[in-house]
Amino acid sequence: MGAGDAAVAHARVRAHGPLRLPAGAPAPEGMARLTFPDSTGLALGVWPDGATPALLEEHQVPPVPVERAGETRRVLAACLKCCWTDLSADPWPGSPAPLERVLGTYRALIGRTDDLMRNWAIGALRRLHDSAWIVLSDGLVRLGPRCALWPVSAHAQLKELVRRLPEPAGDDLTVVADSDLVETAPDPAGGRVEGGESAGLEDLLEGYDERHRAELVAAFMAVEHAAEPVPEARFAALRDPALRRALAQMLARRGRVLIQHRERWISGYDDGVAARLDGPLSESERAVLTLVLVHSVAIPRAEGVLPEDTWLSPHPTPVEELRRHTQVPIGELEAALRSLRHAGLLTQVKAGEEAGGYVPGPQFHRLTPAARRRLQEELILAAGPQTPLAAAVRARRAAG
Amino acid sequence: MSEEPLTLDAALSDEAVLSTYRRMFAALARDSGAVVDDPVLVDIAETLFTAFAEAGEEWLTHEQMRHACRAYPTDLFENRLRVLKGLGAIREVFPKPNQLRYRASFTSVVGLMFIRRMMDDGGQSEMHRLLALEDLNVADPRTTMEEARQSAVNLARAFRLWALELITLTTGTIEELREQAPKLWGTEEIARRAQGLHATILTRWPSLDRVCTDLRAAIYAYSDASRRAAGRLAESAGTTRNLTLLPTETWRTFAQTASRETLASVLDGFLFDAPAPWHDPAAIARAVDEAPRPAPAQPTPPRSALPDPGPSSVLAEPPEAAVQRLREVAESVLGGADRVALADAFGGDWPAARRLLADLTTIDLRPDLPYRLVWSEELSIDPEREPAWLSHGFLVRECS
Repeated sequence: MGAGDAAVAHARVRAHGPLRLPAGAPAPEGMARLTFPDSTGLALGVWPDGATPALLEEHQVPPVPVERAGETRRVLAACLKCCWTDLSADPWPGSPAPLERVLGTYRALIGRTDDLMRNWAIGALRRLHDSAWIVLSDGLVRLGPRCALWPVSAHAQLKELVRRLPEPAGDDLTVVADSDLVETAPDPAGGRVEGGESAGLEDLLEGYDERHRAELVAAFMAVEHAAEPVPEARFAALRDPALRRALAQMLARRGRVLIQHRERWISGYDDGVAARLDGPLSESERAVLTLVLVHSVAIPRAEGVLPEDTWLSPHPTPVEELRRHTQVPIGELEAALRSLRHAGLLTQVKAGEEAGGYVPGPQFHRLTPAARRRLQEELILAAGPQTPLAAAVRARRAAG
Repeated sequence: MSEEPLTLDAALSDEAVLSTYRRMFAALARDSGAVVDDPVLVDIAETLFTAFAEAGEEWLTHEQMRHACRAYPTDLFENRLRVLKGLGAIREVFPKPNQLRYRASFTSVVGLMFIRRMMDDGGQSEMHRLLALEDLNVADPRTTMEEARQSAVNLARAFRLWALELITLTTGTIEELREQAPKLWGTEEIARRAQGLHATILTRWPSLDRVCTDLRAAIYAYSDASRRAAGRLAESAGTTRNLTLLPTETWRTFAQTASRETLASVLDGFLFDAPAPWHDPAAIARAVDEAPRPAPAQPTPPRSALPDPGPSSVLAEPPEAAVQRLREVAESVLGGADRVALADAFGGDWPAARRLLADLTTIDLRPDLPYRLVWSEELSIDPEREPAWLSHGFLVRECS
């Protein structure tokens, strides 16, 4: 597998989640292979020098916000309590646990048993499933591939956490049925993690002394995981052109490029790599996102109230507008809003009881100039196909 | 002009024209109010000069001038004519009283051509001409070293000022940058010509190397500044700005009537990140610690090992039965006497004795029963006995 293919694979993981590997196929360079007993597997990128996105906290760079973070993490803790049965082994893959047991554990943890608690927990489980932290199927919960990325040094902390979590208050749990379920469940006995020691960036980093190396890794993690462009004043590897070049090379291995916003930097998909991959959004998600772009960016722009040349906007699209004045069915709308919000493509703005709505989310910082331009052209082509402007766009594309 | 509705855009472009006029004549102006405050005034002058050119040796009378400028209001025209005459741009054909025919000054016409050209390209072509002339000059065998030095110093100064202006533009608002964009066109060509000139001077007069170093630095600074400014302009030109070119209503209609497929097609092929929030072990532990506390579990009190029918039968009895039972207990202890020592009543069986003691205490606490416990000061300790510590007392019958 060439370096270019590995970069595309990394971009695919970033856009679509863990990469499915056929039986026996090796993981692309810079990824860990999560191998199942039948030798099929999943691949996930690993970070250089054992860093995790927790590094951002040390540099006071806010990461992409997690929706209902506390609740989601408590539910993940409950999953861990139920699925990590053998504390002498690594957390992943653990063993499957019935959904009701996880909910029971969560109930015991927060001491509430009402329906609202249950709905929240189910919502959190769904989000954890969508982000590959758990796998939810047929009433069973398994730990997801991302749990394999917890550094070994943090396992002790997790063990301690699992030990002090309360057992589910258990009479109403169908403990006997558990084993039946587990036996009928596919792929019950987990797997193992292979590789993952190397982020595939060693040759780029080895020429630097410890300090510069740490600066490069810090900047790499920051631009890849920050919610917003990172000020170059905070990272030597962004300030110094030579280090920045090395950083760009590291990112290129991941199919990424640096994107500059004045004195701030963030990373985005390399245009060439992006062209080789399908977008991850469903039709209704794309439709809803387009509607928000029209209401929050195009219309304020046309009215002259959005002076900044950006796809982010302080003008929320009211939910009522989306519900009542569009052709998107309301059921699909709600589901699409939920997943777009979770992915950071939309941000919910709350303002009082009635006002508020949605604006384009932090992911729009990560569009390259070419992608931003193309987005503008696509909107113009769709909204005003008969306008001279659309004709000009088509002519230029035909010429190019 | 007054009959046209004054839009914001028109006002802005007028202001841009005026600011160029002011800057051009700043070196000559007597005070800051000396330059026209309406671009129409310059148009009147130009119309007049055109009319003079067509009139040829016939010159023009006042009426003919008025006729040529019939598109402009009379007061504006008269005012303009007075100024042009005052400054000598339009003069009497013969300097004598009651002169009726006028001619235009050649210098003023050339000046106006120059002004119009400066308006169009911000002095770009003037710089080209200047460089071409200087090139000819330094190649001329009659040119002295002093002249060449002066020429290099002048050019260096011009480039420095130009670079400074571009740097200011680059860091200023994008609107101003766009307005001044023509200054950026053809900069590569100008820099190349300047470098050619620099090379000629240095080859012919090597002793001018210090001046030439200055010139070179100024050219580089200028090239760099123009590249930055052009880069910023290019970056901003195409990302959302053209959205303003479709009217708000078109956008609204699109949002309300477009099918889900059409809306979705806008974002076809755009690559976005899958949701991948990072749940750090420390953050999970923190979330668990911050969980809303459940009500503390009530531990079941330890049970006695003794066979105990429990209180249920007692509670089932009517209250009179309990009183009756207590009365019987008291009478059985007293055995007909009015007073009996507790130590005698209890015997050696402490478990039985403590139950009896409990009953006697209950009896003592019920004022409706005529029995009282009376405790003495005496305390006997005998390690061999059970209980080893015994405070002495009596059960007495109250005399009614």
